[in-house]
Amino acid sequence: MMATTDEATTRTTLPRRRWPTPRMLALVGVVVAIHVVAMRQTDFSLGALAQGWSGMADFVAEAIPPDLSWRGVLLRSIKAAAVTLHIGLLGTTLSVPFALALAALAARSTTSGLLAYQTARSLLSFLRSVPDVVFALVFVTAVGLGPFAGVLALVFHNTGVMGKLWAEAMEEADPGPREALRVHGATRAQVVSHAVVPTVLPQLIGLLLYRFDVNVRSSLVLGLVGAGGIGFLINQSIKLFRFDEMFTHILVVLVLVIAVDQLSGYIRRRIGS
Amino acid sequence: MSLRISALRKSFDGRVVLDGVDLDVQAGEFVAVLGANGSGKSTILRCVVGLESPDSGDILVNEVPARPGASQAAMVFQKIHLVGRRSALDNVCTGALGRLPLHRSLSPLLFPAALRAEAMRCLDRVGLADQADQPVRRLSGGQQQRVAIARALCRRAPVLLADEPVSALDPHAAEQVLTVLAGLAGDGLAVVAVLHQPELAREHAHRVVGLADGSIAVDAAPESVSDRDIESLYGPAGLPPVTVASA
Repeated sequence: MMATTDEATTRTTLPRRRWPTPRMLALVGVVVAIHVVAMRQTDFSLGALAQGWSGMADFVAEAIPPDLSWRGVLLRSIKAAAVTLHIGLLGTTLSVPFALALAALAARSTTSGLLAYQTARSLLSFLRSVPDVVFALVFVTAVGLGPFAGVLALVFHNTGVMGKLWAEAMEEADPGPREALRVHGATRAQVVSHAVVPTVLPQLIGLLLYRFDVNVRSSLVLGLVGAGGIGFLINQSIKLFRFDEMFTHILVVLVLVIAVDQLSGYIRRRIGS
Repeated sequence: MSLRISALRKSFDGRVVLDGVDLDVQAGEFVAVLGANGSGKSTILRCVVGLESPDSGDILVNEVPARPGASQAAMVFQKIHLVGRRSALDNVCTGALGRLPLHRSLSPLLFPAALRAEAMRCLDRVGLADQADQPVRRLSGGQQQRVAIARALCRRAPVLLADEPVSALDPHAAEQVLTVLAGLAGDGLAVVAVLHQPELAREHAHRVVGLADGSIAVDAAPESVSDRDIESLYGPAGLPPVTVASA
């Protein structure tokens, strides 16, 4: 009698290569075709880029060296960067209660019923699908030009994005503690407070910091449509053909983005340890 | 009678798991439930606390029908199910959530002082008062299971169910946990523990119940449970001999 393990050890022929099946090849063909269509519709042309490189070079040459005069540019830039940071900060933190409530209703494991689940999911989808720039334009008409419109725009859009991300994190939470508290008579809100949120807290904070990072960069763009901050200065510099000033603002933005990234990375590491 | 289960039936996808189980447990009694994997031991407990709905049968806890989410039984689990980042004391307090008003219950910071004092007594009862401030994840497996027992005590339920509470523990920790459970029965609780260790069941329980094919096959005092009874639940000890291939 021969055992199965002996058969395995005595086989010397190599397994045959697994070539892509016709179905896989067809799938790759479809993906390539979609890319070709996308390139045509976006006028994608490396030739145009090669021909126009001198225009870019002129633009960069005018921006270098950056105007680093303290009173004229740098101080103004730093003050505007602080406004941008504050727009991003408030846009993130003020959306936390709304995102948390909607996330709890939009997670299958914690929702109070099908109607609440569908309503919360729909609301989050709506808030997520309206770009923050559009929200900013709407709020500018209500509260005028300035950073407050930017804060409101980010609160609305970020509630949609963060609520969705948090709902997914909550759905992936270990069901054990939830089950244990249900057995001990806890209500749905108590289960969320004492079993779900504490279990996934590191993920929730990690996503919050990620959104803070994104929102600081978004608030730059919001500045371009009149919501204040350093984006507004960049827009002004371009309109006045002061590319050296623009470059200074971009350098300040670079420092700001790196600082925010380092800070959120540090906090994430501390939470994880 | 603290716990009365009558004619309990439960099936999953057409497979009968419990086929008319009757079980009475009195206050102060420690019942160990034995049986092979899939024999329905855990399903009985899950039906009592409402995590599963029985197909038919009656479950009374202190003469009150058990309802989902409102059963008067507390439970500890094999995988313990505590929140590791929170302190032992905060975890124990959550056993009382069912009787706290919402505005005093949404954060450990809002828990009433009286509840914290009660949770401390529960921890003291399982021998862990000195670990009250420790995050649960820093405790050993045996200590974590005792914290889970303390949380169940904080529920103030007359019946305590334990679903394989020592399966993941070393022999010393298992001994400690079962000593605590036996002590709680001595305090007047009705304790039902699903176990996979017949020798521990014989040592600690007042009564040993064995399940086979969805029915109770053994129900006797520990000293009356024979090796033959155990074999009838799990099959003969050891595995069939392995045939080794000759060269």
